Amino acid sequence: MTPGLLLLIAALSLAVSIVIGPKFSRAWIVSVLIGSVAACGVSLMVLMGGAEWEWRSTFLVGGELLHLRLDALSGLFLMLVGVIGGAGAVYATGYWSDKQYPQSAPKGRAWWSGLVLSLGLVLLVSNGLHFLIVWEVFTVCAYFLVTLENERSEVRAAGWLYLAASHVGMVFLFAFFSILASKTGSWELGPMREQVGLAPLFWFALMGFGVKAGIFPLHVWLPSAHANAPSHVSAIMSGVAIKMGVYGLMRFSGWLPVPEAAGQVVIGLGACGALLGIAFAIAQTDIKRLLAYCSVENIGVIFIGIGGALIARSQGDAMWGRLVLVGALLHVWNHGLFKALLFFSAGSVLHATGTREMSRLGGLWRTMPWTAGLFALGAVAISGLPPLNGFVSEWLVYLGLFDAVNLRGAAAWAAMPAVIALAVTGALALASFVKVSAMVFLGVPRTKAAEHAHDCGASMRGSMLVLAIVCVSIGLAPVMFWPLIGRAAGVWNPAWALVTDLPAPLATLGPVQAVLAMLIIAAAVWLWRYAKRNRLKRALTWDCGYALPTARMQYTGGSFGGIPAGWFFWILRPEFKVKRPRGLFPEGASQVERVPETVLERVIGPVGEVVMRVSTAVRQLQQGRLQSYILYLVAGLAALAVLVVMGGVR
Amino acid sequence: MIILEIILRLVLWLVLAPLLPGIINKVKAWVAGRRGPPVLQLYYDLARLWQKSVVMSTLASPGFIAGPAVAWIAVLAATQLLPLGPAGAALSFRGDVLLFVYLLALARFCTAWAALETGSAFVGMGSAREVSYAVLSEAALITAVLTLSVHTGSVTLVTMLAPAAGAGVVLLGAGLFTVLLAENCRVPFDDPNTHLELTMIHEAMILDHSGPPLAVILHGASMKLLLFALLLTEAVLPVGPLSAVAAAGALVGGVLMVTVGVGLVESWLARFAFKRVPMLLTTGFLLCLFALLVAWKGGAA
Repeated sequence: MTPGLLLLIAALSLAVSIVIGPKFSRAWIVSVLIGSVAACGVSLMVLMGGAEWEWRSTFLVGGELLHLRLDALSGLFLMLVGVIGGAGAVYATGYWSDKQYPQSAPKGRAWWSGLVLSLGLVLLVSNGLHFLIVWEVFTVCAYFLVTLENERSEVRAAGWLYLAASHVGMVFLFAFFSILASKTGSWELGPMREQVGLAPLFWFALMGFGVKAGIFPLHVWLPSAHANAPSHVSAIMSGVAIKMGVYGLMRFSGWLPVPEAAGQVVIGLGACGALLGIAFAIAQTDIKRLLAYCSVENIGVIFIGIGGALIARSQGDAMWGRLVLVGALLHVWNHGLFKALLFFSAGSVLHATGTREMSRLGGLWRTMPWTAGLFALGAVAISGLPPLNGFVSEWLVYLGLFDAVNLRGAAAWAAMPAVIALAVTGALALASFVKVSAMVFLGVPRTKAAEHAHDCGASMRGSMLVLAIVCVSIGLAPVMFWPLIGRAAGVWNPAWALVTDLPAPLATLGPVQAVLAMLIIAAAVWLWRYAKRNRLKRALTWDCGYALPTARMQYTGGSFGGIPAGWFFWILRPEFKVKRPRGLFPEGASQVERVPETVLERVIGPVGEVVMRVSTAVRQLQQGRLQSYILYLVAGLAALAVLVVMGGVR
Repeated sequence: MIILEIILRLVLWLVLAPLLPGIINKVKAWVAGRRGPPVLQLYYDLARLWQKSVVMSTLASPGFIAGPAVAWIAVLAATQLLPLGPAGAALSFRGDVLLFVYLLALARFCTAWAALETGSAFVGMGSAREVSYAVLSEAALITAVLTLSVHTGSVTLVTMLAPAAGAGVVLLGAGLFTVLLAENCRVPFDDPNTHLELTMIHEAMILDHSGPPLAVILHGASMKLLLFALLLTEAVLPVGPLSAVAAAGALVGGVLMVTVGVGLVESWLARFAFKRVPMLLTTGFLLCLFALLVAWKGGAA
């Protein structure tokens, strides 16, 4: 099958699924799956070394010729769209079923297909105008998916914030593409690295795509949108949609020249974003909000890689750049996979207990063993621990940065802080994920709802298992994935496409990870069996001799994250509402702690308020009385007259 | 032949590691004027614990037992990456030092996970402290690794640890010693002897473990101590150019000195208040950072 045919199948089946989605859920799932399998197939063809696919038609859309192309870089992202698009659709049949949500489930199916289709088109179109159109379509589809549950006010607020922030980004993209078109004389996109005058446009692209990617401090829309969306939507938003920002940045930093400082800025943004993103994550008490902030962190890690690659490319295509770039691109896949897995598991917890608040959960491993196990796997992977996939990509980024340090060029001064930031981020991510897994799945159930939870159904479990298997296989056989990602890196910088060899250390790391995984399983099983043979007894948690430990004695998520949250007090700015017990017979007391979204509530909020106040004041001018408008006209004429007279004197 | 060598290395690590806590206790007893427990006490304890039955919390999942096993494997794997002087490491490749750092992180994840299975508040405190202070000690450790990497221009443990750490050796040694104390839960960060659960880190995490899993935890902790002592020794001493016998002597001497040093610190210092722990760890990080700058300067000159 040719790539064109596969793409046609994918596009047609997704288009069909939009139409049939609302009515026929069975046919919809088949159709979406055909589409996503076809998309994965065509991406694999391109990534495995097939020729770049290009199609120019004589067909006009919006006055421009339709021009599609698929190379290894867009193929890499298309693969992710296919995998998460398919897995999320299967998950949705169990999670957001017609029976439970008769109103929104049919709509959700259509918007889901629309989102997957428009995400695919973003990756294919090669014309600035068309890019803007499909980008907007994808943003709007995502908006309707986020607000599926629009009877809740916080969902509407989150959706509104997402839409507003996306359009601020869109303004920068309008500027980017229209200036590009006016300078080159055409909306056609393609490699134009030799036109040095285009370099300053990079800053527009960074702003526009940065908002979509959710890099700190442009992430303001991300936490609430990801937390309040249905979980399969959170998964595709976090796993795929924000990666479109990364794609845009990669695409246009690959095709266009970039300014001198680009690499330093991007690596700095990445290092700060990773650190602050995870600092916010550890202070959260809502599972999905924690996962959302963790996406901000991972985007930071990806930006560290991209920044490193930009620096390396500007310094004569140094080979360490290829390592960090492949690390960053692999992290795009990895983060997409394990974050979707984590959101799916969080969704199944929400489905079973009806709450996202960690302080109302606990002890779920007993009633939800599958979800607990898969969440644990995702937590190990996202903390970047061996032997899973998160470690492989972070290891490649580290290795590249260490090489940069050892070359002792100017790049070393960016690479050294980045390495330290990456290490601190890793340790904080570990702390956050120990916290969230333990508070949700271990210990005593904190509420009745948590006590009577049930594990998820077959469709939800199946889609989670698929993602988990892919995570494990990238971790155990990174050697198989290197050539694919290497090709995408080669598209970004053709100088790196010439070297196709596998780096020797990766060839060693793969088997080491596999052996490690086997040893871990063997040791755990063996010790469990030995303990059982040695008369395993069950007793109440000892806890230094408590007779009756209760759920309220357990450590909470807030206390668990308290120490590191204290270190970041200067930016987290938690708000406390304390009601102290008063009098001899106190009626009640409470303490509520909330971690605000600092950038949104302390920076953008006040600025917006000033703008609103000024606008309100200015609005006084327009009150609908004819007399005043005549007065404005007369005053305006008088002012003009004065100007003319004064000008005449001079 | 290779298999024989690996087995020999494993035996060396597994058998020698529990000696270190015994030596520390002996030093502490000697300073205090007591006779103290025998040097081999931990061996007796491990043998005894291995025979015992396991009491497990009613709340705990199989992860309660699997956690210590995984952590033990992770530490053991990390030991095999560390070179033994001129004999090299069992496994060595470019970037192995990062695997080394992350294996220790995996051990931390599993220990904290297993601890939190019990739902006890003390355990919650202990794990929260463990994973939080590890943030600072990991920053210090990676900076120390960067220093060694800048000094030798390599990302392989064997090459990085062969020469001495150059002009910044004192700074690096002090920084790594601080990390050693923190990561192994020694005074002044934690007190392995205390019975005041509110003040503990590591001991609080393993309150509910018993029998063979506790033995695995204790043995893993002793391996980790030996691991850090050896890392410190090799970072400071130029073991690479020495002959086999001299290197072996230097390593044994170095590890003994570090161990005695830990014992002396424990005898002469009290445990710090928790508020001061991050300060001390930050000092350790800064020491490593200055060592990094010195190494950078030294390489440039």
